[in-house]
Amino acid sequence: MATAHHDEHPAGIMRWLTSTNHKDIGTLYLVFALIMLFVGGTMALVIRAELFQPGLQIVQPHFFNQMTTMHALVMIFGAVMPAFTGFANWQIPLMIGAPDMALPRLNNWSFWLLPFAFTLLLSTLFIPSGGPAGGWTLYPPLSAQGGMGTDFTILAIHMMGISSVLGAINVIATILNMRAPGMTLLKMPLFVWTWLITAFLLLAAMPVLAGAVTMLLTDRHFGTHFFDASGGGDPVMFQHVFWFFGHPEVYILILPAFGITSQIIPTFARKPLFGYESMVYATASIAFLSFIVWAHHMFTVGMPLAGELFFMYSTMMIAVPTGVKVFNWAATMWKGSMTFETPMLFSIAFVMLFTIGGFSGLMLAIAPADFQYQDTYFVVAHFHYVLVSGAIFAIIAGAYFWLPKWTGHMYNETLGKWHFWLSVIGFNLAFFPQHFLGLAGMPRRIPDYALQFTEFNQWSTVGAFLFGFSQLLFVAVVVQTVRGGKKAEAKVWEGAEGLEWTVPSPPPYHTFATPPRIK
Amino acid sequence: MPMKQLPETQRRAIVRTAVTLALIAFALFVYTLWRGMR
Repeated sequence: MATAHHDEHPAGIMRWLTSTNHKDIGTLYLVFALIMLFVGGTMALVIRAELFQPGLQIVQPHFFNQMTTMHALVMIFGAVMPAFTGFANWQIPLMIGAPDMALPRLNNWSFWLLPFAFTLLLSTLFIPSGGPAGGWTLYPPLSAQGGMGTDFTILAIHMMGISSVLGAINVIATILNMRAPGMTLLKMPLFVWTWLITAFLLLAAMPVLAGAVTMLLTDRHFGTHFFDASGGGDPVMFQHVFWFFGHPEVYILILPAFGITSQIIPTFARKPLFGYESMVYATASIAFLSFIVWAHHMFTVGMPLAGELFFMYSTMMIAVPTGVKVFNWAATMWKGSMTFETPMLFSIAFVMLFTIGGFSGLMLAIAPADFQYQDTYFVVAHFHYVLVSGAIFAIIAGAYFWLPKWTGHMYNETLGKWHFWLSVIGFNLAFFPQHFLGLAGMPRRIPDYALQFTEFNQWSTVGAFLFGFSQLLFVAVVVQTVRGGKKAEAKVWEGAEGLEWTVPSPPPYHTFATPPRIK
Repeated sequence: MPMKQLPETQRRAIVRTAVTLALIAFALFVYTLWRGMR
């Protein structure tokens, strides 16, 4: 809880190791996420380099499988989730007029679990049996047979899970107990709302993943047979338990992105968000539905027809609240006095490209069609449209949006626009052809492919390298902005609304020691 | 300027929220294992 401490803080490394300040911890999360983005991105480029041509050129199949598995784990748990937690740490107290997170010491521990978890996970690449190679979903029997890397991964997942659950508890405790007087729930900025709902998803989903991997661990080492068919267990049960976590996880990765977009679009359209309350209810509906759709990931395991139909229709229902959101963003822009600074460009791209990912998701939801698409590159194209042009574009948009507030300097708009256009072109070049590859039958997670898939794979690899290397521009912009530049005002953007724009840029080490009064 | 201590009622409310949520999370973990054993 926020205890008495002073503006002075330890200097050097101790500031970061022992910090209980939400701004410092937010920065730690964001820097960690950026590093992990490049670690996971390098793995992606290894995958794409190998797939540039048919046949085996660069890496052995076992290493290729480790790359696909680790790329997913690093991007999901190391890049996207910590980035959103970084935004939450920086922004939630500033947006609700609180002096800090409710549990600052717990906040410190939540972050510092992560570097150790990822050191453990990444170290598996250097042990004799190699890293986990059975896909990030860790399906048995493959994961039950893997080497010691799988055990390291299970322990790393436990640590990430504890970090996430503690972070979620902190977010909920902060939002429910530390809002400034007068800030009723329906006056909260939408980013805060989406994070409140995300935190409940984390709280409900992560313990289930912990249960699944604990059972996997006891199957591997302690003689249990939860998922071992020869001992009376059921490998399909793992899939059910895993996806009961896994589908809410998808929304954990996207709801805060909705929140960021809902802050940015009204700012640059210079209009209030269209349908604020419907946005809140749509977010809550998506969260609820996320718990009753999990088996659409496993249509081909042989479910009863009634099960297939239930999960097909419940999945399709998610399009309704998601459609409400897309409609509201479009309606916010309608007849707005719009300008197109870098955060707005990334947000508009988010809305359009995420919607493409949503439509391919609807195609995958159709159970009989999914029998064709299952485990093909169509699925890979779908979830990269949702997670890269969805989650990561929103993260980048949010970084450009709030960077002047955090650092006190304006970023270089020209470089930002270059970054945007190279990212959009690179991204679409990398992932749009993968739809065609999937529809033509190219399987995912295989280092080799039939000759007829060559051309689309080559386009995809060129796009992936363009997208990957253009992220170096983002690093250049961030470093440049942190080091100096034109001074940013308290209200950085003309159309910005909210408490965070009432404090100076950069904000003092402690803000809202006396809570503001909201009318 | 030194940070002010939160009022005691608010401190208690925060702890109550956090402990309740932690118990829910732990219960879900145990429930998952229990369902796995059935």
